[in-house]
Amino acid sequence: MNINNTLFIGKVVHNYNELPSTNVYAQDLLSKSLPIEGTVITTFNQTAGRGQIGSKWISEADKNISLSIILYPHFLVPKEQFILHTVSSLAVSDLLTKYLEDAVKVKWPNDIYIKDRKTSGILTQNSISTTKINYSIIGIGLNVNQTDFPSTIPNPTSLKLAAKRDFNLETLVSELCLCVEHRYLQLKSGQQNSLKNNYLERLYKLEEPAWYQRADGSKFYGTIKGVDSMGRLIIELNGHLEYFQIKEISFLD
Amino acid sequence: MTFKEIQELIKLINRSNLTEFKLKDKEFELTIKTNKQDKTKTVVQQIPSVAAASPVMPMPAVQQPVAPAAPAPAPAASKAAPAAPAAEKVEDESKYLAIKSPIVGTFYRSSSPEKGPYVKVGDKVEVNQVVCIVEAMKLFNEIESEISGTIVKVMVEDAQPVEYDQVLFLVDPS
Repeated sequence: MNINNTLFIGKVVHNYNELPSTNVYAQDLLSKSLPIEGTVITTFNQTAGRGQIGSKWISEADKNISLSIILYPHFLVPKEQFILHTVSSLAVSDLLTKYLEDAVKVKWPNDIYIKDRKTSGILTQNSISTTKINYSIIGIGLNVNQTDFPSTIPNPTSLKLAAKRDFNLETLVSELCLCVEHRYLQLKSGQQNSLKNNYLERLYKLEEPAWYQRADGSKFYGTIKGVDSMGRLIIELNGHLEYFQIKEISFLD
Repeated sequence: MTFKEIQELIKLINRSNLTEFKLKDKEFELTIKTNKQDKTKTVVQQIPSVAAASPVMPMPAVQQPVAPAAPAPAPAASKAAPAAPAAEKVEDESKYLAIKSPIVGTFYRSSSPEKGPYVKVGDKVEVNQVVCIVEAMKLFNEIESEISGTIVKVMVEDAQPVEYDQVLFLVDPS
């Protein structure tokens, strides 16, 4: 597979017919060598993809894209890492927006939704020490041509279901790399504020009152107002603001 | 008030002879009661007032016993007793180095539930060795040690929240 449209992402591509996990492969590569920045690992048949610790990403063979990109954002300190989610989720939504009229939204922190359904999940793995991010692996799973999903997955969709046509996976990989590169260069050139603003513009349920559930099971009605610099979700309820980390809240509708 | 400030306050109160401490302002009320009889329990309650306008920080429950209080005046029978064991213990730990969390997040000792921990008490660690994962908002961070030595204590339970700069491991550099 050749990716010719970019400056540095995808100049080295490790492409496999099948892989357990592109992120695990990337980690392995990093433990044994020093891959150049922008190295891409991709497969259309990922057999053991991961979501959050303990949860799995299920994908049908040869219908979807699994892609990991190795970056070295040495210019970021560990506390600023949420901006990497901003880069990756904007890149994926940029790609989808190109083909769809439906609203493409980023569900906090980094799931990509077409209307009310999830079409992409992103898993970022960093290596950090006190003052520095040593490397970052951005792992993107994108549902493309799959139309049947197991009923155990709550609300899936794919590009095909939304656009009502098939897509060429290799073309999409190449376009996705270009989208990530564009957003990453925006970050490197110091445009953090415009990235944050673009992220907010696409944030799912921003300013829409909705029901949420806390980790203890209690439910409340509130309105998403934004995301703070640490990446915590800001929700207004009963006239005051609360800040949530990932395990402290779930969306109810 | 930050979690750290509350921790500091608990330490101060424990070193004092106070049995109860109350602090109240517009935003919240804090009550700390100490049980000086058995010197192991510290009960902390933080009650956000209804009208609180400031962001409510997620507050991990303070359950673990904090540093033991200074010994109460010893009864006559034991006045010849040497230095308190508690003080010795503190001295011991001071020769250890700490591996701290560079970010706020959730602490994991292994990369997935099926796998064993990256490091255990007694293990040797090298500079740049991965010792744990801290997850923040679905960003998974492998934490690399910047020191070498032997792990003597794991300071946080698996899957618990950690604060910025919180000590995760104590390492004996010798």
